[in-house]
Amino acid sequence: MIESAVIQLLQAVVVLVVSPFVIGLIRKVKAWLQCRQGPVLLQPYYDLAKLFQKEVVASSSTSWIFTATPYILFSSTLTASLLVPTFLSQVPLNFAGDIITVVYLLALGTFFLMLAGLDAGSAFGGMGSSREAIVAALTEPAMILSIFAVGLTAGSTNLSTIVHKMALSHGIMSDPPPHLLALAALFIVTLAETGRVPVDNPATHLELTMIHEAMILEYSGRYLALIEWAAALKLLLFLTLLSNIFFPWGIATVMTPFGMAVGTGVWFLKVSGLAVLISLIESMFAKLRLFRITELLGVAFILSLLSLVFYYILRVQS
Amino acid sequence: MAHSDIGSQLVNICSMLLLVTTFAIVSQRRLSACVDLFALQSVFLAVTAALVAFLTGIHHIYVAALLTIVIKAIIIPLILKRVIERLNVTRELVLNINIPASLLICGGLVILALSVTQPIKELGFLLTKDSLAISLAIILIGFFTMISRRKAVTQVVGFLVVENGIFLGATAAAYGMPLIVELGVFFDVLVAALIIGIFTHRLQDTFDSVDVSKLTGMKE
Repeated sequence: MIESAVIQLLQAVVVLVVSPFVIGLIRKVKAWLQCRQGPVLLQPYYDLAKLFQKEVVASSSTSWIFTATPYILFSSTLTASLLVPTFLSQVPLNFAGDIITVVYLLALGTFFLMLAGLDAGSAFGGMGSSREAIVAALTEPAMILSIFAVGLTAGSTNLSTIVHKMALSHGIMSDPPPHLLALAALFIVTLAETGRVPVDNPATHLELTMIHEAMILEYSGRYLALIEWAAALKLLLFLTLLSNIFFPWGIATVMTPFGMAVGTGVWFLKVSGLAVLISLIESMFAKLRLFRITELLGVAFILSLLSLVFYYILRVQS
Repeated sequence: MAHSDIGSQLVNICSMLLLVTTFAIVSQRRLSACVDLFALQSVFLAVTAALVAFLTGIHHIYVAALLTIVIKAIIIPLILKRVIERLNVTRELVLNINIPASLLICGGLVILALSVTQPIKELGFLLTKDSLAISLAIILIGFFTMISRRKAVTQVVGFLVVENGIFLGATAAAYGMPLIVELGVFFDVLVAALIIGIFTHRLQDTFDSVDVSKLTGMKE
């Protein structure tokens, strides 16, 4: 009992500490690809520390939603990332919720962020919220379906069971056709949900096309720090999902200190690899026009739907 | 047994990558990106063929894989790129069917291909049970691309995708055709790409556009 609580606490600390690093890594690799020196890898930590010390300025027209949103967003994202296996395949908290809980905990945060964007009454916030609503509505089915496709193979919607079974078999190699489609779909969802380049540009506050940055334009001080930290946690959560569902090699399947140490190292390497891949994509592709985003997310939806169909036609009937 | 098991899963992964790139081609409007994706698809096809050659020990499939790389991944994309450069058309603006709808239709085509090949695959002793279904799906989507697009260049890409699907089916389901047939097919495809390239130029000269629907205006 105490052991489980300690492990769960450890996981919370690990994801909280690692998440700003992933953001820093993406920025650093992007800077290298643009032949710049770039900020140091620890810059996101300094930014967070600075923002926590600054005072909060809130518009007088805002309501309680504006104040509550950063806390709701941060706590729902942190709770969701506690349910996702990182270094140990079976999270002690796995009785508390399955993949559907994770998806809708994230959706809860997004929902309040959209409300907060509208709350301040600025033109940018409203634009950002309506765009975020489009993106969120289109990514949700693709995300659920792609994880269900893997869940069918594992026979459960519980993330811990899925990752555990995948780790004991061969990950993506255990049944490649549906899993590869699901992987492609979940990757597109990751880019869209975390506001990465083909969908949104995280590096700018000056574009009329921005989505996430437009919603949080009114925030400052510790509220902004919480929102940025939550965004980093969300990115880390998606990268963890991708790496542990499809490439679970190296994750600890039993609770031994050595296995968990190895698991942490391997997980860190996998997540860093995916972060480098994302920065490559951000350097290679331009942001899509807003009305073309539906086409990209349409691809994700079709791919995830097909991965389910593949499972049903090719596996169940034969 | 474990060895061939992993081998057949690798073939499955590669043929699945072909299907994913086919979907990428369907969702892409920029002509040069379509050509790049076709080149990428051909590389995956060559890898699949090489894997099949390695697993079955049939050596002439290696030749086919090499020819795929040289002709489909290098020469034909170069020809098409030159055509696009000279035509000064970069993207497909008018589509017969818009992209989300064509994605849905392509999904339906994949389901059709899967259910059609379902009874057949029980009969054979294939290396991979899914490749036949996947290749049929790629062929159908290629046909659909030829129907739904108007620009001559994307129609060529659709044609080449169909060819890739046929080649995948032949390699994965029948362990390749005789070498002489394969050589003939490669030569055919190359000549077809060249002829369609010239045809596209003539179309551009006559109509100032590569929209093939303009051709219906030729009748009296």
